[in-house]
Amino acid sequence: MSTATLQDRYAEVKDRFRSLFNVFEGALNGHRDQPMHTLRKAGIERLDVMDFPTRRDENWKYTSLNQMLRLPLQDSYQVEVDAATIDGLAIPGLDAARIVLVNGLLQTELSDLDKIPEGMELLPVDQALEDEAVKGQISEMLDAAVKNDHNPFSALNVAFAKNGFVLKVKAKAVVEKPVHIIHLAAPTGEPVFINPLLLVLTGAHSEGAVVETYDALPGADQAYFSNILTRVHVGVNAHFHHYRIQNDSAAATVVSNIEAHQQQDSTFSSYLVDLGGDVVRNNLSTILQGQNTMTNYYGVYLAKGKQHIDNQTFIDHALPHCGSNELYKGILDDRGRGVFNGKVIVRQDAQKTNAFQQNSSLVLSKTAEMDTKPQLEIFADDVRCSHGATIGQLDESSVFYLRSRGLSDLQARQLLQQAFLFDVVENMPLEAVKDYAEQLIEKKLK
Amino acid sequence: MLSIKDLKVNIEDKAILRGLNLDIKPGEIHAIMGPNGSGKSTLANVLAGREEYEVTDGSVTFEGEDLLDMDVDERAQKGVFLAFQYPVEIPGVSTATFLKSAVNAVREARGEEELKSIDMLKLLREKTAMVGMDQKFLQRSLNEGFSGGEKKRNEMLQMALLEPKLAVLDETDSGLDIDALKIVADVVNQMRDANRSFLIVTHYQRLLNYIVPDHVHVLVNGRIVKSGDKSLALKLEDQGYDWVKGEAALAE
Repeated sequence: MSTATLQDRYAEVKDRFRSLFNVFEGALNGHRDQPMHTLRKAGIERLDVMDFPTRRDENWKYTSLNQMLRLPLQDSYQVEVDAATIDGLAIPGLDAARIVLVNGLLQTELSDLDKIPEGMELLPVDQALEDEAVKGQISEMLDAAVKNDHNPFSALNVAFAKNGFVLKVKAKAVVEKPVHIIHLAAPTGEPVFINPLLLVLTGAHSEGAVVETYDALPGADQAYFSNILTRVHVGVNAHFHHYRIQNDSAAATVVSNIEAHQQQDSTFSSYLVDLGGDVVRNNLSTILQGQNTMTNYYGVYLAKGKQHIDNQTFIDHALPHCGSNELYKGILDDRGRGVFNGKVIVRQDAQKTNAFQQNSSLVLSKTAEMDTKPQLEIFADDVRCSHGATIGQLDESSVFYLRSRGLSDLQARQLLQQAFLFDVVENMPLEAVKDYAEQLIEKKLK
Repeated sequence: MLSIKDLKVNIEDKAILRGLNLDIKPGEIHAIMGPNGSGKSTLANVLAGREEYEVTDGSVTFEGEDLLDMDVDERAQKGVFLAFQYPVEIPGVSTATFLKSAVNAVREARGEEELKSIDMLKLLREKTAMVGMDQKFLQRSLNEGFSGGEKKRNEMLQMALLEPKLAVLDETDSGLDIDALKIVADVVNQMRDANRSFLIVTHYQRLLNYIVPDHVHVLVNGRIVKSGDKSLALKLEDQGYDWVKGEAALAE
């Protein structure tokens, strides 16, 4: 009986997404014959064969999205935001081209579309799909996102994404200046459905970075659903850094699907900082397509109140001589809850793999909770792999030491918590972003 | 300045201090010596405010106020400093950040303004030079990977920065080579003045070759069994603790 109830409930949810899509489609005057539209339809049709995850699924055991799925989500529309507000969301000291999206919609006036650093190119997804140079790759990436068989959210993103972008880093270009994408949730009085879409293509021997920040305007205590899709293809001997600092409102549900594909000799580094949101679920995975690659995953989570932050990571070592380095640390306070599920597969052919994984959490109250599951599956015999997971409290002898020098109990604890997370943040190569992340963490700890 | 009366302290129901009396006047340097297990470190830790020590009787007043009633940070803010025997390593907290926070916390408690960055920098430069510490240590995590000597030097740096009224040195000399020992003594001697007092807890006499105490006390079995001037320390160095232990046993 319960199965029937579940199916019925999701049938209703699906119908709501379908009718939302019909409304959205109706507004797409003159765009119906574009290749993007075919993909969008494939995206919504994915609901015909896929169910929403439930807590019966092992990988969703601790995280329920039901509250969000019950919301009468609405399509987002333009909201006026002034330049001063956006300036307030800039990262101090970061020299970057800014792209501003409010509720997932591009704010052309506030964006530096004409200042994209040399060696990079930023194209709207629908335009990229008609660009001879990249359309093959882009439609493959979107098609793979639609066919994601872990959850229907990347398919939904493709169906609903408004101003998706393709960021190209040209072959051999070493671009020091990052692109900073500012995502802002602005209250509209209704629960909006926001679908940020970013596809990154990096050419051989290139280097580049994108920084994404997620914020909410004050007053955005209305629930909203931010459904993020990011796919990155890192070329031969290319190095790409993806930063995401999420500081959404306490009423937001955030689901992200981030997938990287790496060619030989490449590096992909992901830096995720989750401070905001009510329920947050990140699915981060990397597929290695060549030898001698390096994958770095750095993650910070800080849950207070009744925030819930779930990180799932997956690295598939299928080829020899590759390395992965994963460090996730977080703090759970009040009734906050954290989940970490880090899967690493080292397949039989992946000899000489170096895989390191560490997850450490501080649980600071009796009602906070952390569930961690390091999952290493090793089938090759000549590898170096290690993993560790710790859950603990602040070291009281350290608190005592700091207090014995005049720091208050609160100050001492904040300093130690900051230090605990700094261990991760300090790995960010962009100083300005590192400082910014530190500041936000400090602010949240107060 | 500090007055300890009939102090009795337990750890896990075991009596460690069994009626200790001590009076320290402004400007005085007192040394407390004693064999292992006599309660020296317990005394230092109780003064610093460690919670696992249970005070069952007696009182400690600092400048007329009940010290035992003060929080750990309050003691520091009022001018009591403990140089730890085993300073804690705190990865991720830079030494500079920690020192700045400590200086400002104590200043704030005294009703003084936070130091401006430039003045703080000057102060740090001056005091690191005073304790012979390389500036590069300031950028490192607090005590992390520091050698024993470097940790003690860092304790002296903190003492120099916080300018306490009463500094308690808990076996600061243990594990130090002669050069490091001289630096500790040098900092104490430089800071010694008519208003600042020191309580030096030590097992060995050798630190007292460089810091001349006004009073020397011998702690045995949780009580001060003998007090004297600096010559007492020399006698202990020469003859060991057995003779005082014997006298103490006779007295009981």
